[in-house]
Amino acid sequence: MDDSAGRGNGNESDASSPPPADALKELRRLLLVAEEAQVSKLQERLDDPEIHAEDVSRVLPEAIVIRSAKDDNLTRVLQPTVEKAILTSVRRDPQVLVDALFPVMGPAIRKAISSTLASMLESFNETLERSFSVQGIQWRLEAWRTGKPLAEVILLRTLVYRVEQVFLIHRKTGLLLHHVSATAAGVEDADMVAGMLTAIRDFVHDSFGGKEGDSLDTFQVGELSVWVEQGPQAALAAVIRGNAPKELRGVFTEAIEKIHGEQAAALQAFDGDAMPFERSRPHLEACLKGERQKKAERAPGARNRRAIQLLRAAVTVLLVALAVWAVAAARRNRFWDAYLERLAAQPGIVVTAAGRRGGKYFVSGLRDPLAADPVAMLPGSSLSAGNVASDWKPYQALVPEFIAKRARYVLEPPATVTLAARDGALVAAGSASSRWIEEARARSRAIAGITRYDDSGLTDADAGELDSLRRRIEGRVLLFPRGSSDLPPAETAKLRDTASDVKEVALLAAALGRTLRVEVIGRGDSVGSVDANLVLSRRRAERVASELRPDGREGEGLTLIPAGVGSTRPLRPEVTEEDRDWNRSVSFHLVLADAGPAGSSRP
Amino acid sequence: MIQKKICMLGASAVGKTSLVSRFVRSLFSEKYHTTVGVKVDKKIVALGQDQMDLLLWDLYGEDEFQKMRASYLRGSSGYVLVVDGTRRETLDKAVVLQNRTEETIGKVPFVLVVNKADLVENWEIDDAAIEELGKRGWPAFKTSAKTGEGVDQAFLALARKMAGAPGP
Repeated sequence: MDDSAGRGNGNESDASSPPPADALKELRRLLLVAEEAQVSKLQERLDDPEIHAEDVSRVLPEAIVIRSAKDDNLTRVLQPTVEKAILTSVRRDPQVLVDALFPVMGPAIRKAISSTLASMLESFNETLERSFSVQGIQWRLEAWRTGKPLAEVILLRTLVYRVEQVFLIHRKTGLLLHHVSATAAGVEDADMVAGMLTAIRDFVHDSFGGKEGDSLDTFQVGELSVWVEQGPQAALAAVIRGNAPKELRGVFTEAIEKIHGEQAAALQAFDGDAMPFERSRPHLEACLKGERQKKAERAPGARNRRAIQLLRAAVTVLLVALAVWAVAAARRNRFWDAYLERLAAQPGIVVTAAGRRGGKYFVSGLRDPLAADPVAMLPGSSLSAGNVASDWKPYQALVPEFIAKRARYVLEPPATVTLAARDGALVAAGSASSRWIEEARARSRAIAGITRYDDSGLTDADAGELDSLRRRIEGRVLLFPRGSSDLPPAETAKLRDTASDVKEVALLAAALGRTLRVEVIGRGDSVGSVDANLVLSRRRAERVASELRPDGREGEGLTLIPAGVGSTRPLRPEVTEEDRDWNRSVSFHLVLADAGPAGSSRP
Repeated sequence: MIQKKICMLGASAVGKTSLVSRFVRSLFSEKYHTTVGVKVDKKIVALGQDQMDLLLWDLYGEDEFQKMRASYLRGSSGYVLVVDGTRRETLDKAVVLQNRTEETIGKVPFVLVVNKADLVENWEIDDAAIEELGKRGWPAFKTSAKTGEGVDQAFLALARKMAGAPGP
């Protein structure tokens, strides 16, 4: 405008010639007098932000609509501001936003909680349902064996299913947005299936009523079931074969939420073109879950059964062994008790302690050396010196049979003597040599347990022998022919015997400590003169006496005294000739005397 | 590939089911009609280079346009009004149904199909009546489920209208 005015002014100055500056000003005033007010008004408007804001406010909504239709720039540009604004608002006063969101959040939270509770409850119900079945017990066993929580085992065992197909269905039209399948089957007519699914759900909803928002979420045909997860714009329908865990619904919920989050605009604008929903494929495929019960999983069960059988066999063997051992132990114990009883009954054995220690039997006590050997008394096989420890301390038992036994041990009696202990006295009977009898008397005082020694029943065997020898010698008569001092041959045998006996009796007397005097008495009959007979009788006595001296001289303690008595002391009164024969003889008389103080104390 | 939900509407015994079962791809048996009250079938229509899948919701018995049926209409991109040419009252019924449908889901493309063209000599609906409807903007087709006459044209026409019209 200034340019055109300038050009105009230039033309005018050529026509007249007032002072150029003033003229120009005047011309401008004349020409623009009408517009001047408008220009200044415009200027005012441009300078005044209030008026400017007012103008913008008039066109802002329309401008936003126009720009939003063209592209997403406005949204992008505004996003940080809006976010910042919300953040600032929350920081300043959260209550404002809480109040604003409350009507939305309440139902949303309620729905989330109720759906979580429902799935928990279903799972819990299932657990209870199976608790007391055979399978339930098996699961409990498995849980115990593997150390897993029961719930985990149940979950594992019920996860026998496969999600075969997943339909993403536009809610309003029932048209198929996308479809994925685990198998090749049923893909072709998925659109009709989607339609029918929607129709059936509508039918159920319409027929059996229910509030707005209620819908058919599950339907079951045999082992196939269809789970429907509803979103605001689209629904997800999953065809499942088998028995799926309730938790699977969480997967579907997540998928439908993600699809709504990512494709809200496309869902809103859906006009029959399903192409944009190819994007939802990963989310749908994430729903194609499945769990197979593997045969291999049964194998541990079989192994387990085998292990149980083995265990059972082992336990049986163990029990049998235990029974055998118990019987043997009982038998051994019986033997042991009997053994202890025998020991207790045994004279000269006193058991002070007995029992078992470290798997071995032990017995200890006192034992007289004369008592039976306890080890030899063990029954053998089950109880032997190997498994019985014995500890015996020696002592002297004062039981009568032991006193007699010990007396025999101390006195060493000959076989002809019997010893018996009776009422504290040791009684000896029988016969013994004088020497033994002497020694026994002395030794008996050293024997423990006896108060008296009685040997009145004991005869002195030596004294008896001496006596019988003497009687035999004194009973012999050596006969002589008339008027002769020579012994006839018929009598020499008698003389020899007498000599032997004298020798023996002399030894015996010496042993007994006695002296022996043998009187050899010669006689004559009454025929002839007295003196002649006397001489003859003396000769006869000396003759026999000389025969009796062994080694030609008298022994120690033996004295031979020949004496002739003539016919003064006839053996028989001479009535017959035979009487005279008897008086022409030699006879003997023995005199035993104590040798000294060491002699016999025998009365 | 574009899919559209189509409703088959019309009085009883006008031949809706016959139209569908003879000329569309069926997956489900007739018993769905009586059990669920609806059967969904598919009609593939070629639109130049493109193809449109019409998912036909065939409702069972329309004598009483009950409340529950509204859910079936929801989301439809178009509908087919079927009339029995031999019964005048089915046309009146179609008019009522058209009104109710428009109340329920708004203005969406539709076609009027006067069926039983093979029995044209027994028709109670004359060409004038059909023309009258044409003036009101109702595209009408004479069809015969028996001979197949006009069936494809009717579906094609509906598909074209829907392809040009905004979505549901």
